[in-house]
Amino acid sequence: MSAKLELVCPAGGLPALKTAVDHGADCVYAGFRDETNARNFNGLNFDDKALAEGVKYAHDRSARVLIALNTFPQASNWSRWTAAVDRAAGHGVDAVILADMGLMDYAANKHPNLRLHLSVQGSATNYEAINFYRERFGIQRAVLPRVLSLAQVEQVIQNTPVEIEIFGFGGLCVMVEGRCALSAYATGTSPNCQGACSPGKSVRWEQTPQGMETRLNGILIDKFADGERAGYPTLCKGRFEVDDETYYAIEEPTSLNTIEMLPELMRIGVRAIKIEGRQRSPAYVAQVTQVWREAIDSCQRDAAHFAPKAGWMAELNKVSEGQSHTLGAYYRPWK
Amino acid sequence: MKISLGPPLYYWPRQQMLDFYAEVAAMPVDVVYVGETVCSRRHELRLEDWLDVAAKLRDAGKEVVLSTLTLIESESDLKALRRAATTEFLIEANEMGAVRLCADAKRKFVAGPTLNVFGPETLRLLGDMGATRWVLPPEATREMLAGLQAGRPAGMETEVFAHGRLPLAYSARCFTARRFNLQKDSCEFKCIDYPAGMDLKTREGEAFLTINGVQTQSAKNYNLQGELPQLVADGVDIVRISPEHAGTRALVEQFRAVLDGAAAPAVASDDCNGFWYGKPGLELIRA
Amino acid sequence: MTTFTIPDFTLPQVLKRLGPRLPQLPPTLVLVGALNAAMSKRLGNLLPRDLLEPMIGKRVTIRVLDAGMTLRFAYGERGFRPSFETTPADLTMSARSRDFLALLLREEDPDTLFFSRRLLMEGDTDLGLLVKNTLDGIDLPRLDPAQLVARLSPAELLNRFVARLAQRAVPHH
Repeated sequence: MSAKLELVCPAGGLPALKTAVDHGADCVYAGFRDETNARNFNGLNFDDKALAEGVKYAHDRSARVLIALNTFPQASNWSRWTAAVDRAAGHGVDAVILADMGLMDYAANKHPNLRLHLSVQGSATNYEAINFYRERFGIQRAVLPRVLSLAQVEQVIQNTPVEIEIFGFGGLCVMVEGRCALSAYATGTSPNCQGACSPGKSVRWEQTPQGMETRLNGILIDKFADGERAGYPTLCKGRFEVDDETYYAIEEPTSLNTIEMLPELMRIGVRAIKIEGRQRSPAYVAQVTQVWREAIDSCQRDAAHFAPKAGWMAELNKVSEGQSHTLGAYYRPWK
Repeated sequence: MKISLGPPLYYWPRQQMLDFYAEVAAMPVDVVYVGETVCSRRHELRLEDWLDVAAKLRDAGKEVVLSTLTLIESESDLKALRRAATTEFLIEANEMGAVRLCADAKRKFVAGPTLNVFGPETLRLLGDMGATRWVLPPEATREMLAGLQAGRPAGMETEVFAHGRLPLAYSARCFTARRFNLQKDSCEFKCIDYPAGMDLKTREGEAFLTINGVQTQSAKNYNLQGELPQLVADGVDIVRISPEHAGTRALVEQFRAVLDGAAAPAVASDDCNGFWYGKPGLELIRA
Repeated sequence: MTTFTIPDFTLPQVLKRLGPRLPQLPPTLVLVGALNAAMSKRLGNLLPRDLLEPMIGKRVTIRVLDAGMTLRFAYGERGFRPSFETTPADLTMSARSRDFLALLLREEDPDTLFFSRRLLMEGDTDLGLLVKNTLDGIDLPRLDPAQLVARLSPAELLNRFVARLAQRAVPHH
């Protein structure tokens, strides 16, 4: 078996970062308070003071901090992204997670000692693409979009020296990350450029006699009967009519959970497991980090006899969208 | 201003596709993109067939580009990509694996609309790697285009998606197969029954999206006919029209006429162009 | 990890019926007092004023379903204050008292409660996100909990609020 499997946890703010470290995260990923990262939501993320404290807190406890700068800069705002790279480097973070080639080039030239990770937003789904980023910009880790089957992940790992990080738990992007303009089409806010999907300003929940309605910029996404489990107000988790049938045409409200695949993930040489959810509260970070720490440790002790505990699954389902989980594309029939 | 016909996005039966391209040879388009970009399972036309189509179009005086898959997952996808990258035709690279193959082989290529070129630094790098043309991501705004044009490397052509249902998203999952409770691996090629995709409506009956296999498109047509003078002013070299099941010829002729000043722009009330103006894509702003 | 978790409870039905008949102002005063105190220098600017700027002029309603309580307040340049308007607020949040308590103590994540339909957020969702994310971003361990409790006690808050009201001769709008 290759190097230790790392647990990479989300931090939307300083309390979440500390919580993740306290509960056993090897790495915490975070972003600045603007559109330089793909969780650009009101009130979320780090200013310089919080990041300085966060980096110190993590480093004092042997955890690492990764800064996501994973949106696409444009001519008019290029300097905001380069300044963010400089700020991250100045804080002594352990890596920056980038999607834009131009920004990678900047970071590689300006901060040759700064470790670069290829963001999931970079949409690299095969080893040719990943090796391209390594040769050109020296990336050391790539986060895979949630579209590959387990066998395909293995194929990637066998053909690249780049460390592979995959999403293990949390909100499930059904579309290839970086290649989805559904939010931009409906709301004008683009994950690629503004760093947000289905922004709060476009979301309306309303209790009506027919149930709770979710609208995105006025477009009816879903209608929930009382007591029916709900999901995020994203287009890909809505119920629509296709050919006179009304159903979850793209995906049900559900979260990704790969805990039962841990022995396989370790065997094929996955280097890190990412937990989604920078938009979630410290309570979520605590619950999920604790379960995954325990699971990874248990699997590392004895992979042959590893079995997910019922308690873990219950705890994870509780915090999941629609309170259910899926293996997503890792399990081929999902496709 | 040149007009291009983008790669065919739908899965049409073999003869229908061949007939379509026989017709294209006589349309007033300058550039034609051929090849399968959406789903690796589609096989009515194989690479050899596409090369035949390409050769005929070239003989008819068209510039032909071979477009490659947008989502490359498996080793067999990569093999197909490597084969495409060794033909005599210019390649449209739609993901970075294709860019690598072209750059390593010192081949010129077109940087396709899914490469996420939003900033001039990225465009410059692609130029260094051999891109001679780039396609603006459909979700980009006119303002972003202006910034890119200002930093565009010398000799690089700019192409803009100007008509058709917007390719909005790609997935590993096939939504056409899902409609029939089928898995992608045993999809029965259901999308061949939907030559213009499947309509997806909201529960209030509003036309919203179009399902086309692993691709999700807008229900509305993106239409920049009214903005053609702006595109000319912005130094765009090529406008792209997406092939449609019916009416492609009339559409191409209409664009040509508008560009030549011989016709007024035809914009339907259910067309959209919001992206160009930095608004929600589904909106229509009158130029 | 905390060993104590709030048990799942719903207040007796009688409270739900009784609640609306009780004056809603005192609990509202306690709430706005606590929020204003959290913004004060004395408490280390726990609630960062600059982050709350988008909230200026907004009205929020909190409905504690099992207590039959409806707390209406607004945020202005001078902080939080009770609101007496009955038209729909910019943001309305509804949940049971148990779940509000769990949120306050960071035992539950609001999204989790939302997925299971135990938390309803109506109106300006962005405002809701701002409130949620701002509260989540407060680094509580820096404070001495005992001190906090003393300063946030209802009596203390009411006193201070009344004192502030008395200082002000000019009404808000």
